[in-house]
Amino acid sequence: MRIIRIFDDILEKLSRWGLISCLLTILTLAVMAIFFRWGGKSFMWLEPLVRHLVFLSAFLGGSLATSKNVHIKVDLATKLVEMSSSKFIHWLHRNIITLFCCLTTMALLKSSYDFYLSEKEFGAPAFLHIHSSYLVAIIPFGVGLIMLRFINQLILGINGEQRATHHV
Amino acid sequence: MPLITYSIIFVMALFGAPIFAVMAAFALSAFYFSGIEISAVAVEIYRLSSAPTILTIPLFTFAGYILAESKAPVRLLRLSQALLGWLPGGVAIVCLFVCAFFTAFTGASGVTIIALGGLLYPILIEEGYSEKFSLGLITTCGSLGLLFPPSLPIILYGIIAKVDIDDLFLAGLVPGIILMIILGTYSVIKAKKSGETRKKFLWANLAPALWDARYELPLPVFVLGGIYGGFVTATEASALSAFYVLMINCFVTKDISPTKDLPRVIIDSLTLVGAILLILCCALGLTNYLVDEEIPMKILAAMRTFITNKWVFLLVLNIFLLIVGCLMDIFSAIIVVVPLILPIAEQFGVNPLHLAIVFLTNLEIGYITPPVGINLFISSFRFNRPVLELYRVSIPFLFLMLLALLIITYIPWFTLFWFSP
Repeated sequence: MRIIRIFDDILEKLSRWGLISCLLTILTLAVMAIFFRWGGKSFMWLEPLVRHLVFLSAFLGGSLATSKNVHIKVDLATKLVEMSSSKFIHWLHRNIITLFCCLTTMALLKSSYDFYLSEKEFGAPAFLHIHSSYLVAIIPFGVGLIMLRFINQLILGINGEQRATHHV
Repeated sequence: MPLITYSIIFVMALFGAPIFAVMAAFALSAFYFSGIEISAVAVEIYRLSSAPTILTIPLFTFAGYILAESKAPVRLLRLSQALLGWLPGGVAIVCLFVCAFFTAFTGASGVTIIALGGLLYPILIEEGYSEKFSLGLITTCGSLGLLFPPSLPIILYGIIAKVDIDDLFLAGLVPGIILMIILGTYSVIKAKKSGETRKKFLWANLAPALWDARYELPLPVFVLGGIYGGFVTATEASALSAFYVLMINCFVTKDISPTKDLPRVIIDSLTLVGAILLILCCALGLTNYLVDEEIPMKILAAMRTFITNKWVFLLVLNIFLLIVGCLMDIFSAIIVVVPLILPIAEQFGVNPLHLAIVFLTNLEIGYITPPVGINLFISSFRFNRPVLELYRVSIPFLFLMLLALLIITYIPWFTLFWFSP
């Protein structure tokens, strides 16, 4: 279990620092673009680069939302489970939901990896001569990261540990 | 097999699976059972990276979180009290104004009640308002600025419905003011009953309060003046607002420490953004499938048999959206429901801007509608009161909001007069 916890902490730090770097870069580039425009200059690559950084930060933020257990939910029937005093019911509920998320993100990873492969074969260079497959690779990277967080949660959850810091 | 799969996903949704996972599972299964490559879902997800206004979501949210974390709430409260405190119901009206300002910037994510509730509640009680009124007012105000720019739900709606965000910002102004007038009038009536002592307007109070809030006051001017003056786009306004708020709070007022507080604020704000954008990503796949299968048109055909005109449609829509607002949070509702109702509303001749404001007003009401209105839970947590008490105190405000909804729905002019030829 210790290895899983260390691995999850590494993913947490990667997501946190990635997110901080992304936001500061996005902000700097977006403000620069405005001043360039006012100065009569424009760089065609700036806007798509910023949009892709926002796209990447969606997955990094999603990874943190997973670890904090603050994903947006409907939660209609969860109250029924919460009313139960049985620890087993709570354990079962938490792990079934996490298992569902693991399976879904695995399927999503397969979907995004297939897209990446087809883009690698048929794609073309986009802005700054970056091949479109690298841009598309944000999806399998991001989904993979979230999937790993769910898998860690599932392993720890089955062993009776709950890493989520708070619920919303 | 499809029926079993969809049923399992539905049950998972009911039992608290994250909405993004539910959407993704639905989309992946739908494409799989239709014999389409599941990579189509990833193709749809990637579409998000080409949405031109996507940048506004993280940047306005970040600006809002910085404001909430700084001492701006205290400064704005002091200014509003000096400016409006002399009015009958002054303190309650101050509450409406400050909360509307904050909610517009923080995107009605509950931050308003957390950041301002503790400041406003004792002031209201001290002024003689009942606990019941004070709790109800703060709970309702937690989502009050939702129709004002640059609120996150407006931006999200614009992206999903492909409606111009600048137009949406303008369309929401008067309906937002109507909500404030109705709640303000109720507050004045309550103030008279509570025997509130009126304060005098003093320039001596206003001048220092204005000076204190000198850095926050230009923000609405930046956003509205910048966009409608033609100086910047909504995206650029979000970048400038975030940059301005960051610089002022880190290096001028020094409310936020760049090393201690800033990383936490970035992480908190972008965790919310990540959760919303993930749903948006996964919903793109699902809604694309639903639209391809002409689901909205099938619903329309069924509705045509008992709904004959636009006004009946709007009534049914309001009832439907109030139910949606009771069950789902605003971001999921926008992402899931808008693509379904948009083509139907179009067929009934509802203007897309009017539809947007009706939609958002309904969901604003959803924030205080039992059983799962999120503001009720946030207030319950913030003020340490049972949620049932919050249900009770919010009911008068709920009816007032419904009155505003009727006005906004059945007099489209309030939303659309900016755009009349």
